[in-house]
Amino acid sequence: MTLAKDRIGALIFLALSIGYGLSIPLIPDYPGDEYEIFTAKTLPTALAIIGGLLSLALLYGARGEEKSALPELDWAIAFKLIALMVSYGLILESLGFLIATTIFLLCGYWLLGERRKWLLFSCSLPLVLCFWYGLTQLLDIYLAPGVVMQWMGM
Amino acid sequence: MWEGIYIGVTTAVMPFNLLMMFVGCFAGTFIGMLPGLGPVSAVALMIPVTYGLDPSSGIILMAGVYYGAVFGASTSSILINAPGCASTVVTAFDGYPMAQQGKAGKALALAAYSSFTGGTIGAIFLVLFAPMLAKVSLSFQSSDYFALMVLGLTAVAAFAGKGNILKALMMCILGLMLSTVGTDRSNGVERFTYGSIEFIDGLSFLLLAMATFALAEVVMSVMDKTTNAQQAQSNDASALGSMKLTKAEIKEVAPTILRSSVLGFVVGVLPGAGATIASFLAYGVERNLSSKEDKEKFGKGSLRGLAAPESANNAASTGSFVPMLTLGIPGSGTTAVMLGALIAYGIQPGPRLFIDHPDVFWSVIVSMYLGNIVLLILNLPLIPYIAKLLEIPRSILIPLILFFSLTGVYLVSFNAFDIQVMVIICICAIGLKLLDFPLAPMLLGFILGGMLEDNLRRALLINDESMSFLWERPLTAVIMSLAMLALFGQPLLNLLRAKLRQGKTQDVFDAE
Repeated sequence: MTLAKDRIGALIFLALSIGYGLSIPLIPDYPGDEYEIFTAKTLPTALAIIGGLLSLALLYGARGEEKSALPELDWAIAFKLIALMVSYGLILESLGFLIATTIFLLCGYWLLGERRKWLLFSCSLPLVLCFWYGLTQLLDIYLAPGVVMQWMGM
Repeated sequence: MWEGIYIGVTTAVMPFNLLMMFVGCFAGTFIGMLPGLGPVSAVALMIPVTYGLDPSSGIILMAGVYYGAVFGASTSSILINAPGCASTVVTAFDGYPMAQQGKAGKALALAAYSSFTGGTIGAIFLVLFAPMLAKVSLSFQSSDYFALMVLGLTAVAAFAGKGNILKALMMCILGLMLSTVGTDRSNGVERFTYGSIEFIDGLSFLLLAMATFALAEVVMSVMDKTTNAQQAQSNDASALGSMKLTKAEIKEVAPTILRSSVLGFVVGVLPGAGATIASFLAYGVERNLSSKEDKEKFGKGSLRGLAAPESANNAASTGSFVPMLTLGIPGSGTTAVMLGALIAYGIQPGPRLFIDHPDVFWSVIVSMYLGNIVLLILNLPLIPYIAKLLEIPRSILIPLILFFSLTGVYLVSFNAFDIQVMVIICICAIGLKLLDFPLAPMLLGFILGGMLEDNLRRALLINDESMSFLWERPLTAVIMSLAMLALFGQPLLNLLRAKLRQGKTQDVFDAE
């Protein structure tokens, strides 16, 4: 896959600056703000303008840019890890710290190619239990047990 | 000054702080050794841990992690040719060939001694110069601070962009844009929250630092097939050979270490330059200074080629604390993260730091020196065992690092929504890295954003809503000129050179 990195970067940043600039009118005004030289909108306005100008400068500078190949990357594993992190965020409060983290670590090891069962289990549940014990019992930090644990009466 | 040093020593040698120093150096060495994770990631990973500590202990821990990570990164550079961070890329030039020649032990020992000397010289200079600079900067006003923040941003952009100033500047602007999300500190107006209560307090610095420097770096290292190959190769790193240096070898490298340490410190003090430029510069200087015979050894396992970048990057790491502690402007990406952590403690780094929080100011300086000793005591005998850590399978390490990063943020806010925000920022950071945008300027922009806006607002109020302070107040004008020089100096120089070259060619044509 080949791409002109600077051109893509410049276009994305230009879109971002425009979007940011268009959101500035949503910032509420206080009565009398029209007489002030510096309001809550001043810095964002300056940033949107500078951002837009810098993007245009990069776009102008990237006119003759040759397309370059992306380094050889393992996209599949990145997507899997990102999906795993999103899932962890979703299940953390419902399943509770203990179960959710154990599942997260087990799946993480598995995704990265670990298949030795003893290693999979010894580096997940015992470790999470130690961490959980340290947080809740030693440091007295409250961790929500999660819906499942509550159903089980814990 | 002596009173300050006394406060610093008594704070730093408290048993708990000494423990923090040991823990920091060890954890830093371990994290720094992992290919792809440098000092910035190591320090970012420590932030949640430091939230439970008092500011002095927290900053001592982070300083230890910083030093340890720089040393750890050198270890992986030497043993498996996989630099843990940019500042140790040069270490691999001669360190790895030495390891291939069966002198890995010697290379690691030389790296440890060079780092120690570099760090020690840096710490002595820090003691001498930081308080002086802090005293001078007490006379600074809001307009000077505003100019200083602009200087910090432009200098970081000029140096961190590796030739592409535009991209680094864009990242500074992105950081500033992100800092405007949430409630405006001056008048309580909500900005860019789009009605979501999750963003009323703005984005958390910890979340941003962890997502960009811990999560994104880890995912990138897993995606990168060459890093994976290097890791597979790391299992051969067990044979270290002798760790002793002969008298002749010590005599050969001593002047190199001293020269590079001084050079490293000076480069480190410049906002934005940091350890990477210092190490490259020291290597280049050393190569130019050596005889023709020695010059050929560079890149093939030269002792001087290894000692120069190692002492320079450690001295520069210490030097980068000078602008952070005295002016409140970070000298590198790592000190930017530490600056954010200090602000989270409610401590404002800057000229008043050594008056308002002398214990923090001096204990950091003293712990710099003690950290070097700890690093030497800890790492020299432990090198063979530390090298074994490289054999821990990545399939186990990576999920654990991801877990610590995610939990680190969750345990501060107890809000699972933050994990989703982290993942989104991580995806954006990966995209930006693939498009060759540097991330450190973004973090710097984010940290300095609030302060920049406050100081500009105050400067305008003091100056009757006029921007004339930019050229009427001499100190502000000088700092702004420096900022402009940092920004336009290199492009102007290039333009001038091109014009001169063009002129010469024209003269030749005319003569013909």
